[in-house]
Amino acid sequence: MQALAAAVALTMASLPARAATADLYGPKAADAVKGGTLTFGSLVEPPGLDPYHQAADGRIRFTVLMYQGLFYESETGEAMPLLASAYEVSPDGLVYTIKLREGVKFHTGQPMTAKDVAYSYNYLRDPKNGSPGAGDLTLISSVDAVDDGTVRITLSKPNGALPMTLGNKYGGVVPAGYFDAADAKQAFNTKSVGTGPYKLAEFKPNSHLALVKNDAYWEEGAPYLDRINILFIPNSASMIVALRNKRVDLALLTRPQDIQQVVKAPGLVMERWPSLNQKALDLGSELSPLGDPRVREAIALSIDKDEIMRASVGGYGKVIGTMVPAMQDAWGAPIDQLANQKVDIEKAKKLLAEAGHSNLNLTLTTINGYDWMDPAAVTMKQQLARAGINLNIQRVDLGVWIKNFQSKQMGFTFNDWATQPDPHLLFYRHFHKAPEGADFRNWNNAEASALLDQGLGETDQAKRKAIYVDFQKILAQSVPTVMLFSADHVSVRNENVMNYQQHPTGWFFGLARAYIKK
Amino acid sequence: MGGYLARRLAASAVTAFVASIAVFLIVRAVPGDVVAQMLGQVSDPEAAASLRGFLGLDQPVWIQYGRWISAVLSGDLGTSWTGGRPVGPAVFEAFLVTLEIGLLTLALATIVGVPLGIISGIYEGRWPDNLIQIFNLLGLAAPVFWTGLMLLVAVSSFAGWSPPLIYVSPTESLWDNLSILMLPILSLGLLQAAAYSQFVRQNVVTSLNQDYVRTARAKGVTIRILFFKHILKNILIPLITFMGLVLVQILGGVVIVETLFSIPGLGRLLISAIETRDYPMLQGALLVVVVTAMAVNLIIDLLYSVIDPRVRLS
Repeated sequence: MQALAAAVALTMASLPARAATADLYGPKAADAVKGGTLTFGSLVEPPGLDPYHQAADGRIRFTVLMYQGLFYESETGEAMPLLASAYEVSPDGLVYTIKLREGVKFHTGQPMTAKDVAYSYNYLRDPKNGSPGAGDLTLISSVDAVDDGTVRITLSKPNGALPMTLGNKYGGVVPAGYFDAADAKQAFNTKSVGTGPYKLAEFKPNSHLALVKNDAYWEEGAPYLDRINILFIPNSASMIVALRNKRVDLALLTRPQDIQQVVKAPGLVMERWPSLNQKALDLGSELSPLGDPRVREAIALSIDKDEIMRASVGGYGKVIGTMVPAMQDAWGAPIDQLANQKVDIEKAKKLLAEAGHSNLNLTLTTINGYDWMDPAAVTMKQQLARAGINLNIQRVDLGVWIKNFQSKQMGFTFNDWATQPDPHLLFYRHFHKAPEGADFRNWNNAEASALLDQGLGETDQAKRKAIYVDFQKILAQSVPTVMLFSADHVSVRNENVMNYQQHPTGWFFGLARAYIKK
Repeated sequence: MGGYLARRLAASAVTAFVASIAVFLIVRAVPGDVVAQMLGQVSDPEAAASLRGFLGLDQPVWIQYGRWISAVLSGDLGTSWTGGRPVGPAVFEAFLVTLEIGLLTLALATIVGVPLGIISGIYEGRWPDNLIQIFNLLGLAAPVFWTGLMLLVAVSSFAGWSPPLIYVSPTESLWDNLSILMLPILSLGLLQAAAYSQFVRQNVVTSLNQDYVRTARAKGVTIRILFFKHILKNILIPLITFMGLVLVQILGGVVIVETLFSIPGLGRLLISAIETRDYPMLQGALLVVVVTAMAVNLIIDLLYSVIDPRVRLS
């Protein structure tokens, strides 16, 4: 047996100080004040609270406080045991034997056992049940309860990203048989049945979501707040007024002009956090002449990422190479080892001439409602003009964009996405050749796909990193996408709100560690 | 009257039926795929197909419509796709909120706008008229989101106060309810008052120039008696018509103020249903809007005969 147990060692030598504390949900506070109600303002609203079938990020952000998976997505890119307490992987990498945490109870009061865990993950992975999370679990051939405290997961092929896949994005352990009830899916909106630190008190669409402390929660002394009222405020001007008037204690803001309005407001504290977000420029090879790597490279060489970042998010972000900032230290290739990261107009012109395009016309697609895309598009138009590329800009609705994206007709477009903190989950589906991956950009790169397969099969984390660094070098060289920059999470809190950390996913794990100073 | 009412109701039923088809088709014409949106960027084709089947989207449109309309006729507006809650109660709850805003806004606009229009008309060309005209012009030109935002920011900066953000119904606490709705009603109501004022002014000016008024003035009837006995009666019918238009306009403006002030009314419900492509919710909400507009029209037509017995409803 190759015992990995709880310690999946990653190389974390140069992480920022804040990220070095790999605690579940963020660091506990020894002197935390217990009790009180925190009012949280949210610009986005969950369409529903069903953690199994609802894919919207607005849902995931809040349900992670109510539902828990076997592992926790630490902010440093590790999978830490959550409802698991330890695990072992068989030498062939195909069998994971997972010990469960003891003393865990559901919000219903009944104890959680291996039977519930097996039931939940088996429901999640069955494509018939229609969960968007099923696709990540296709390598699992069975999930069995060995005894009350042990679960065995058997895979058809080794999967180094399995623990991260068993995290909190989709599903969460619910009592066995939960979905037998006809109204089980709707019932998620009225009553929570998870094991998380907070229970659902009330969900009123278009108004608010109220969570109350789970008194039977398994973590000693946590969480601190008695109640969290989450108000859905769809308009950022109203949000700013609410923050200033202390109607809201904590909120995440996304537009730089909004952030600037509260930066100097008395009694408010603005904080920036690294994120998993990436603002990218995608180059779908189906759109002529983007199938020619020379043209793609020329475009990459014409783009000044820093200028675009400043124009579109006012500096509240970080320029990236091929990896999002929160995962750069754990999984990223050093930017100085990547091709096409510096502006080189002469080389771009030469490549275009070689490809036979002296006056290239391209149409860039942007998405309605994504504020950063408009200034970014205008800035990029000027940058590409220097290399002799004329850029037209067209805006489409998100629904149209997603349809084009999924039918692999995305063309030349801005993209804005994030994933869980694992390189397999970040890259495989997007960049592996079909049919194993979706290859949305019609990149069709055999070498890159082979590396992604290798990364998936490897369970040694150091070796995994080396493989993904090689993959990123190809990504930068061949340019199916240009990762431009990552927007920071910007939180604004009342100065009485203490110990809140924003998780890089954008999910609100940190609310389970926040408290209000008296 | 009874026959008229029956005919009008029958005609309304036909209109509602046509509107239901239009609503059904318009909702589906909104670009974007609901399944893709629900499953997100990286969904599985298999999961998408199963969801499509579950939602009945794999059926031809006319079958989908048939299922929906027969359910509607039996009083079931369906179930929201995204949240799983029944559409009927959700729409009804939101409708009551919007109705309260609409009626209070109408009351405010009438109380402010009609006297302003009368004063303006009587003093045509003199300073009170000029002053009121400035108000009218600003009110007619300012978009409601701007007025709402300015009110919110102004009250917040000068008084350090902003409305509470969790909606409270008037039956729970009338005071809390009104403190939440005060700014939205003010921002919508003042704009509609301007439209009212402009409309009433025009009617008063026209009436004052009519022969019977001139004759009465020549006979020594005071302007006050003339106004309340004759002119007001004459402008009442167009005013009622206008009131109906204003109410429908308010329903439009409500979408904006509800979003701005975080009020869970029909407008906000519509917007979120459009954003998530929640067809059942969107259809239910639109149908309620259409039926409300028809009801307002009908009530106004009936009011004509009450105000002016010469108007025969036959």
